[in-house]
Amino acid sequence: MALDDVPRLGCGRSIDSIWATIDRPPTAHEEQCEHCQTARTRLERLSEATRELRESDLHDPALKPGPGIKDAIMDVARAEVRRGSRILLRSAGNGTTEISEQALSSIVRSAAAAIPGVHSRRCRIEIRPAAAALAGEDHPSGPTGTAATSGPRLIVNLRVAAAPGIDIPLMAEALRHEISNAIPAGVGIGAGTVNITVEDLYDV
Amino acid sequence: MGDHSPGFESDLDEGSIVARAQDGDLAAFEHLVLTYQYRLFRLAYRMLNDRGEAEDIVQETLTTSWCALPMLADADAFGGWIYRLATNKCLDVLRKRSAHAESIVDSDDMEAIPGVRARSLPAGLDPAHEAEWSAEQDGLTALLKTLPPAQRACWLLREMHGRSYAEIGVTLKMSPAAVRGTLARARHQIAEGMSQWR
Repeated sequence: MALDDVPRLGCGRSIDSIWATIDRPPTAHEEQCEHCQTARTRLERLSEATRELRESDLHDPALKPGPGIKDAIMDVARAEVRRGSRILLRSAGNGTTEISEQALSSIVRSAAAAIPGVHSRRCRIEIRPAAAALAGEDHPSGPTGTAATSGPRLIVNLRVAAAPGIDIPLMAEALRHEISNAIPAGVGIGAGTVNITVEDLYDV
Repeated sequence: MGDHSPGFESDLDEGSIVARAQDGDLAAFEHLVLTYQYRLFRLAYRMLNDRGEAEDIVQETLTTSWCALPMLADADAFGGWIYRLATNKCLDVLRKRSAHAESIVDSDDMEAIPGVRARSLPAGLDPAHEAEWSAEQDGLTALLKTLPPAQRACWLLREMHGRSYAEIGVTLKMSPAAVRGTLARARHQIAEGMSQWR
């Protein structure tokens, strides 16, 4: 329907077809056809004006929002900050210990930043409580002791974008290794499972 | 750690920045605001020709995007999505305007119509290219104001912002073929208008 709506010249050609080759020399038909020549001249003028406007708008200081706009947007964002869910690290008679998913993800991300050719994306973290930790009361381990080995285990689900041409299994192993070290070092809990999903290849 | 994660690598691809903002990373979101506020302002200003309203569009669009980000299924679709939000807000403003002022002719617009304005401009013999270009641009922007809103949006999204036919189609609820037709009509109308000028 819409295709038939395209404006056509007296010679039957569409404006579109002239526009499509406006940057190339005129075709044999265009050189002879009066309709095409007129249209071409007009469209060349439009094409030039369009290019000029695009450039000048891009650099026109008057075509920028005031500096307060960004601040107002960020104020709202800060007021409605999302920290993800809270992860219960420990529950005992004398209280609970929780950590926000966001705080944990930032540890995961800085660990991932050490591996070349990979950009971390979304990160979901869950916890699998150790049986002993669930039972709570009769927890036998020492004051700080063995949390990293026998306590609750984290399940990290990290999505990443990888550089094209990279050895994905190798990269994933390095990533898993880095994350598995960083989490106990950062919060004193073992990273039990690190699931990695390569969801995209980014352009280098 | 916290609001501004220091591990924000400078060479991150946009999809990864969007994904982090989806997870609540404010530094990543700020980066997106800095990237898109100028583009969205240029679009909104050329749609509405009013600085204050254009600033409102930028602010509303990006604020809404923060809350809606977690629902965005594909991080790489952020650009198209944010342009769609902004374009539809502009079209809403224009609809409200025409509902309020159906028959009032804006005197600024009258002045801006090339045929009217041209008389006050120097004759086209001026060899200074710069002056000529800016006069051409005046003509172009004035003609743009005379296009119906959907045509104007279509032209701006394609010619000023390089968005794809498919994306523009989704934004304006048209098929890509209809986008092509709308664009052709917009170009035709502007080119005609420019040819009658001077």
